[in-house]
Amino acid sequence: MENILRQKAKELLSSGEVKVVIGYGWNRAKTRTTPVFITDAADTDQLVWNPLCVNNLSVYLTRKFKDIQALGKPAIVAKGCDIRNIAVLISEAQIKREDVYIIGMACQGVVYKQELWQGELKPNIMPTKCHNCDVRDPHLSDFVAGEKADFTPPEEPVGMVFDKIRDLDSKSPSERWAFWVKEFSRCIKCYACRQVCSLCYCERCITEKNMPQWIETSAHPRGNLSWNLIRAMHLTGRCTFCGECERACPVNIPLNLVNQKMIMVVKDAFDFKSGYDEKAHPPMIVFSPDDKENFIK
Amino acid sequence: MNPARLSGRMKTVSMADRTLKKEDLGKLIDSVRAKGGRFVAPALLARQVVFRSVKSAEEVATGYILARNSFKEFLFPQTEVIAEFSMNKDSVGLKGVEVDAPETVVFGARPCEAASLKGLRTLFTWDFVDEFYTKREDKTVVITVGCTSGDEACFCTTVDLSPESTEGADVYLRETEDNGYTVKGLTEKGKKFLDTHDAVFTSGAAKERPLFKPETVPAVDLKRVSERLKDRAHYDDPVWAKLTMKCIGCGACTFVCPTCRCFDITDEGTAFEGERRKNWDSCQYDAFTLHASGHNPREHQPQRWRNRFMCKFNFYPEKFSSKGCVGCGRCIRVCPVRLDITEVMQEFSK
Repeated sequence: MENILRQKAKELLSSGEVKVVIGYGWNRAKTRTTPVFITDAADTDQLVWNPLCVNNLSVYLTRKFKDIQALGKPAIVAKGCDIRNIAVLISEAQIKREDVYIIGMACQGVVYKQELWQGELKPNIMPTKCHNCDVRDPHLSDFVAGEKADFTPPEEPVGMVFDKIRDLDSKSPSERWAFWVKEFSRCIKCYACRQVCSLCYCERCITEKNMPQWIETSAHPRGNLSWNLIRAMHLTGRCTFCGECERACPVNIPLNLVNQKMIMVVKDAFDFKSGYDEKAHPPMIVFSPDDKENFIK
Repeated sequence: MNPARLSGRMKTVSMADRTLKKEDLGKLIDSVRAKGGRFVAPALLARQVVFRSVKSAEEVATGYILARNSFKEFLFPQTEVIAEFSMNKDSVGLKGVEVDAPETVVFGARPCEAASLKGLRTLFTWDFVDEFYTKREDKTVVITVGCTSGDEACFCTTVDLSPESTEGADVYLRETEDNGYTVKGLTEKGKKFLDTHDAVFTSGAAKERPLFKPETVPAVDLKRVSERLKDRAHYDDPVWAKLTMKCIGCGACTFVCPTCRCFDITDEGTAFEGERRKNWDSCQYDAFTLHASGHNPREHQPQRWRNRFMCKFNFYPEKFSSKGCVGCGRCIRVCPVRLDITEVMQEFSK
């Protein structure tokens, strides 16, 4: 599969169809994967594919990365889950479908965090998203590397995130409030969650708007709560549950719980799941006469 | 670094003053707390070992390589109030804030991170004495423990430090085979601390566990790095973009770094009443150097990365004769895109 990927990348660069291939390569010690930007057909052997390829590289397609955009048309190595983010970027007019070449990777799942890797992909080191994945055969791709996956997602979603959400839902509002205040209290306002997210593409984030300062920048309980809540709201109906924010969080805030809960709310209210159809707009930015509006009482 | 020189030095640190038995750590914590002090040690929080204020020995983590955070946040908090203001029809009120500087013991720091104190001190006393830092540091006793384990991100030996470096530490401990420690007072402050809590310690010989010494990163020459950075020619070198284009511009590396110390001043509250805060800031944010005019001298992420690298390997050593990087490897571990500073060091050693 790695060879098919490298061959395809070589073809695309040699023919000039794309100017850069955004993919995964090894770190120096070959213990972790890291994003690479291949611009020369002779370098395509640097590309790797394995269960350590966790990063959602679609972030590099956003306008936050002007240096990468300046290289010319990109090809991107993407898992089905990553392609869901690309679909949202297209639906929100951030990129045009024809301006990116998608090399979809048929995927058997990845590790939750690279540090957990001990040479074998076992279910207990995979994130919840992989256990319920319905895009192991990548959609929307220009080319698919690998064989069709022999996997059917369970009818009722399984995994730690869903267990924890059920647990939290069974609690009283004040207990839930206490839970989140405690979790957010660790936030160090490094904004890794925002930066690693391909759907947080605003050039000027609301936290940087300081006349007036809408969101307090201090990492005190009030500032942390307002930051994490505003981010959750801004991703509602858009987030694909790729899990990058939780992976990047240096203080282990369970952001997957926030995002998955919002996904469930949107599914209930609008029967919408983001990232499958690049022509469908996220429900929070469109008005539809069919909206239930049952929250108006 | 010459490995022979390093192993030679290693033998010199064995003359311990005292020993601390495993079961007596709780007594030390009690003894410090009984005098009104705060005892900061690596402890578990949300599946991570972090420096926290602890009340008992049970909370103190063992078998960790390095805490997720550096202990700098107990000297230079992530957010703190430095003044208060109020305003009404007749007057404007400005009020300074007393520095909250409790007696503090930092236990279980690693020799690498303790070496960051010199640089922090120099910076916070450079042209203005920032008492919010100095008063806290003055009241802090730093107890380091020589490392008996490490991981592939550790690179202290590459920046001329080692598990038995004592720079910045007041007391140096070595783990013993029976899970206790040998204890050596290094500074006046450290010796005084040991005398104050003398009843907790024991004497006698104990067998020390071997130290873990990370291998030096191959092909790194700090002198050469510094020379190349001094020459402005590197400024627009395409190699910066090549190495750091993947940086997503979060501040995680700077916030876990023991030597990073940039901050921002922000006012919170209403127009009539509020407080002025000193908050950690990061040179990796695009707004860090954004001018009011709209001009940004470091508009691209590789330029911001260049600045961080320059700060560590040129500005700090040149301007303050102190270490800008102590090789703890936190930035490598925490980076969501696995950008490895030692790979940049290798490139600039060429």
